[in-house]
This record gives sequence, structure tokens and C-alpha cells, in this order.
Amino acid sequence: LNAAPGRAPRQHVRFLPAPAPDGGGAVELVAARVPVLADHPLVRGPRFRKLKIGAGHRLDVKASGVFVLGIGHGNKLLTDLYNCHLTKVYTVGGLFGKATDDFSDTGKLIEKTTFDHITREKLERILAVIQGTNQKALLMYSNIDMKTQEAYELAVKGLIRPMGKSPPIITAVRCLQFALPEFQLEIHCLHETQQYLRKIVHEIGLELKSSAVCTQVRRIRDGVFTLDDALLRTQWNLQSIQEAIQNCQLKVETELEKTLG
Amino acid sequence: AAMAGVLRAAGVARRLLCSGLGVAAGPPSTRQLREAEEATPVFQYAGKVTRRKDRVFVWGFSYSGALGVPSFVRPDVGWKKPRRIQPTPYRLETEEKISSAACGYGFTLLASNTTDITKVWGMGLNKDSQLGFQRSRRDQTKGYEYVLEPSPIPLPLEKPQQTRVLQVSCGRAHSLVLTDYEGVFTMGNNSYGQCGRKVVEDEIYSESHLIHQLKEFDSRVVQVVCGQDHSLFRTKKGGVYACGWGADGQTGLGHYNITSVPTKLCGDIAGVNIIQVSSYGDCCLAVSDEGDVFGWGNSEYLQLASVTETTQVNVPRHLPFKIGKVKEAACGGTGNIVLTEEGNVFVWGYGILGKGPNLIETAVPEMIPPSLFGGSDFSPDVCVAHVRCGLSQFAALTNRGELFVWGKNLRGCLGTGRMEDQYFPWRVTVPGEVVDVACGVDHMVSMVKSFT
Repeated sequence: LNAAPGRAPRQHVRFLPAPAPDGGGAVELVAARVPVLADHPLVRGPRFRKLKIGAGHRLDVKASGVFVLGIGHGNKLLTDLYNCHLTKVYTVGGLFGKATDDFSDTGKLIEKTTFDHITREKLERILAVIQGTNQKALLMYSNIDMKTQEAYELAVKGLIRPMGKSPPIITAVRCLQFALPEFQLEIHCLHETQQYLRKIVHEIGLELKSSAVCTQVRRIRDGVFTLDDALLRTQWNLQSIQEAIQNCQLKVETELEKTLG
Repeated sequence: AAMAGVLRAAGVARRLLCSGLGVAAGPPSTRQLREAEEATPVFQYAGKVTRRKDRVFVWGFSYSGALGVPSFVRPDVGWKKPRRIQPTPYRLETEEKISSAACGYGFTLLASNTTDITKVWGMGLNKDSQLGFQRSRRDQTKGYEYVLEPSPIPLPLEKPQQTRVLQVSCGRAHSLVLTDYEGVFTMGNNSYGQCGRKVVEDEIYSESHLIHQLKEFDSRVVQVVCGQDHSLFRTKKGGVYACGWGADGQTGLGHYNITSVPTKLCGDIAGVNIIQVSSYGDCCLAVSDEGDVFGWGNSEYLQLASVTETTQVNVPRHLPFKIGKVKEAACGGTGNIVLTEEGNVFVWGYGILGKGPNLIETAVPEMIPPSLFGGSDFSPDVCVAHVRCGLSQFAALTNRGELFVWGKNLRGCLGTGRMEDQYFPWRVTVPGEVVDVACGVDHMVSMVKSFT
């Protein structure tokens, strides 16, 4: 970053003594535009000595996926994005037949159960119920009086969501793959932690009269940032980062304007 | 995985003695973990042939006994307090699978289509013997005025071990039981002839043993509906018969008098094949096989204002709504609701109709947006499968088995857990897939299948 051409030094007008044009020892003051000495690179030093980097929504050690970072002035945008309370989308992989203490497949085994009675239909029924109860929680924590006309109109459009602190809420669940004993879900949620998602997988297992552990949690969308915007490990260089920031700028601005007004 | 039998090799002697059993100390290796995992026993909670269980959930006002839980009214243990209102669904234990339920004004009937001797159970108010004669255990000559627990109703069947009960229906103080081959049984108050028999002056209806049987209709009766003080019978050929109180024209027979013998309705439904009839208050709706809606009865709340300015209509009139082919209709006390073939729900009438607090009354049906019933771009195939009406509440069942309620929350009858009125459809949390729901004045009963 420091090697990139910096700002041009400021110029100012100074009255410098210069020898008079008609000879002799007389000294005249001539106006000349000279660079300010304080802006000289040797005086100023390197432009960036440290960078302030802030992190967006937390991501577990065992989880993977999109992780939003803010650099410098972007940290202010981070707080604004947090206040927008946008949903995040995860791909959660699960395995039937085991129950562990920390709900993931690397934990201490507690119980093993059969799972051949589970069908995709039963799983989808449970997912529908989860969505239903969370829908109620969504309406309740949004702190809008249910008796007003605007509450009705927001509910019709589906725009009610809690704009403050609330327990984790799942706005939508879908089963992507189902091959006993494995299954994969796509979960849209608000205010959640990855451990909460693993607990949900465990509870789905219990509800189906079996047990389940979570094998994979991957965030594929965080508000406006999707997998396409995210940089891979091989792309962590200045050029890609600058391009990525430019590409996302417009999206972030429009989203902030829409939600926070 | 706690390895049973991992011994810490403490000393050389031990190692020599238990060679083969002892393992070196330290964190268990992957292979040991795997072996331990394979050695743990596997539990089976449900096999492949596990059936989904059928359950009944009740909620609402309990002091009349209509919920069927005696401990709500008379606590059996000292520390329990009487529960006046049950605000959320409560499971009711029943002996048989209940196939049909109906809520009246303070009482409930549950029926099962079994061939056992006991087919119908009733609970709640019994001051007019709407639950038949329930012999009191303390005094064998008297009957109970309030039945707190589902008690069998003895029906005078000719072939009790062959006849099946198809459907039950309850009105304000009378009830109807429909069987497959033995016609309709009626019991309860008959001061307006709503039981289908001649009105006897000064008849005392409480502790009465009389259960009347109705058999003569043009064809087999396939649906019975009770209004507040009148009864409607729909036959297989598509005809509708009525009897009972008619001051609002709800019998639809062209006059405003009471009728004590079921008589066939004419008017706009003459010759039309009616596939469904509905009523709960003083207004009635009928749906034909072609999707047309016919209405008659009370119109003080603009229920029939689309065809007439009068407040009472005593002949069935066709309601020319351009909303599509109607599949099902339900009538409440002041509002009506219909379900079309596309799965859209339309409401009209007066009261809390379900489109926010601003819509109080309308004479023309207004559609409730399907996004309120759980349909979104994530699950686009969710649609409403059935609609039901209580006196001032509405209920809708989706094809996913979810129950949505809205309307006046009289004594907690909506089951949302709150006491406030609900102005737009709200999901009721029931632990199971709701198959059917019956709405009453201040309580509701639902038949639910468990998830797994």
C-alpha cells in the first residue's frame, strides 16, 4: 500500500527572494508556487503505518464461509450494517444416528440411535413447524403493536423483523439434500450463533425420535455479501481487496439507505 | 467415549501382569475412539412401522366444562388452582380416535367412527339435555347439569355394533348426530322445533331422556349443521332441509315462523346440487358443485347485502360474487368466509374480518393476502385447505397442517396465548399437524396428528 503513488504534495504561494532582473545586488520578492516542505515524503514518512480492521458478525472456529471485515473508515459502515439486522444464510450439514455433547461430530459420543424410520417427508414436516414457531417469534420480538393497521401491512409484505436485540430467530429453513444418514439444510436466520445452529440440528434429531449431529456449518450470505463477493485464501492481495471493496460499495450504500433511511 | 477398561499402566509389574488389557495412558487415539464408538449400544426409539398418533387439543373457556378437563374446574389436588381460561392448546386424552368434533354454546361433542358401542362423547353444559341424559352418580334419579369430562352419550341405535357415526354438530342448546344408515339423532332444546319434532308446550328439557330420530328425507343425509336455534340437513342428492327458529328467515322456507318438521328448501337452490352447507348464528350459506354461493337468513351485518337491502332473507338467494369457483364456505355470527379452488380466502360481513383493524365491515368479499398464511418465495406451494367459523372468530387450516386464527379473542378462545383480539391471521402453535378444527363461542377443539 505504501508503495502506491501517494497524494501529490500541496502547493502554496510563497514570496521568495530572487535576484532582480536588472542586475546589481538588489533583492526582490517574487511570487512563486512551491511545494510545501511539510508534505515532502521524507518529512511525512510512510502513509500507512497500521490499518484499523474491524470484524463483522462472528464466525466459529469450526465453521466456515463469508466473513465481513471493515478497513479504516469502513468500520463505521460495520456498525450501520449491524443495526440493519439483515438475515444471514447458512448451509448446515447433519448426520443422523449419533448424539454428542457439543452437538458436532467431533464431540464426546453420548448416544447412538437408529434412523431408518426417518423419511424426507417427516424431516420437512419438522422444518415447517420450526419455521412456524420462529415466524411467531419474529412478529413478537419486533415490538410492533399487533392491533395497528401498519402491523397488518408489514405482516402482509413480510417485512416485520426485530430491529433490536432478540434471541436467535430462524426466518426460513429448507432441506437441500437428504441421503440417510446425511442431510443438508439451508437456514436463513437473525441474531444467531453457530452453536445455536448445531443445537437446532440436534433438536431436529430428537424431534424425529432419533439423534443428529452437525457436521458442517458454512455461511453463504451475510446481509448483502454473498459467496461471489468473498475472497478466497489465494486472493488475499491488495489488488483483489481493492476491487472487492469497490464492487460492494454500491450494494452496501443502497441497502443502508433502504433500511435505515 | 469413556473406554471401559482403560487401565493406567502404573508400574512395570502391572504391565507384566495384565499384558493385553492395559493400555498406555494419555488421550485416546483415533482408533480407540472409533472402536469405542462402535462398541456403544444403539437405541431404537421408533421403528419403521411406527404410526403417527391421533390427538385432540382443546383451548378456551373451561368453567362450563366444555374443555373436558375436570381439574380445570374442580382441582383434584390441593395446590392446583381452578383454571378459568386455557389460553394455549391443551391435550385431551381420549379413548378412541376422534374423527369428528363440534363445539356448541358452552358444550362440545366428540365422535368416533368406530363400531364399538360408545361412539359419541359429550362435555359441558347439559341444562337442556343437549348431551343426552347423564345419570348423576350421587343421585340416580337426577342428571348432571354440567358434564366436566368426556362422557359417553347413549344413542338408541338399532344395530349399535354396525352403525357408524359420521358427523356431529352443535347449536346453542341442541345437538345433531349423523349416522351412516340410521339417519339423524337429535337431542336438546326443542322450543323452536330445532330437533325436528313437534313442539310440546311447557316441556322440561333438562334431565330428559328423549333422543329423536329423523329418517324421512329424499335421500341419505350426508351433512348436518346446527345454527343457533335451527338445524340444516344436506342430502346426497344435493337437497337442503331445515327446521327450527325462523324469525330471521334462517330456515329459508319462505316464511318467518318456526318449523318443527324438516322441510326442503326451494328458492335459488331448487334443482341445484349443493355440496356444502354452513351456519352457526342466524345466517346460512350453501355451496353448489359448480362453485356458486347461496345465502339466506340474517343480513343485519351486510352478509347478504350484495343482493338485497332487507335485513332478513327467508328464501335462498344466489350471491353473485366474482371471486372464482368456491370450494368451501363457513358462516359465523356476523362475518362469513369462503375458500376458492385456487386456495384464496375471502371474508365479508361485520367485525374483525382479518385485514387489519381498519376493515370493520364490507358487503363484498375481500381477499386475505396468501402471504399471511405462510406462503413466501421460499415455500410457494402453501395454501389454505379448509376454513371454519366460530361465533366471532375465524380459523383456516393450510395444507401443511398449520392452524391460523383471527377474530375476537373471547375468553382466550383463539389459542394464541394472549388475551387480545387478533386482527390478522395468526399461527397457533400446536405440537402436531392439525387435521380439523371446530370453533365454538368461547372455546375450540382440534384434531391433530403427531409429527412422527
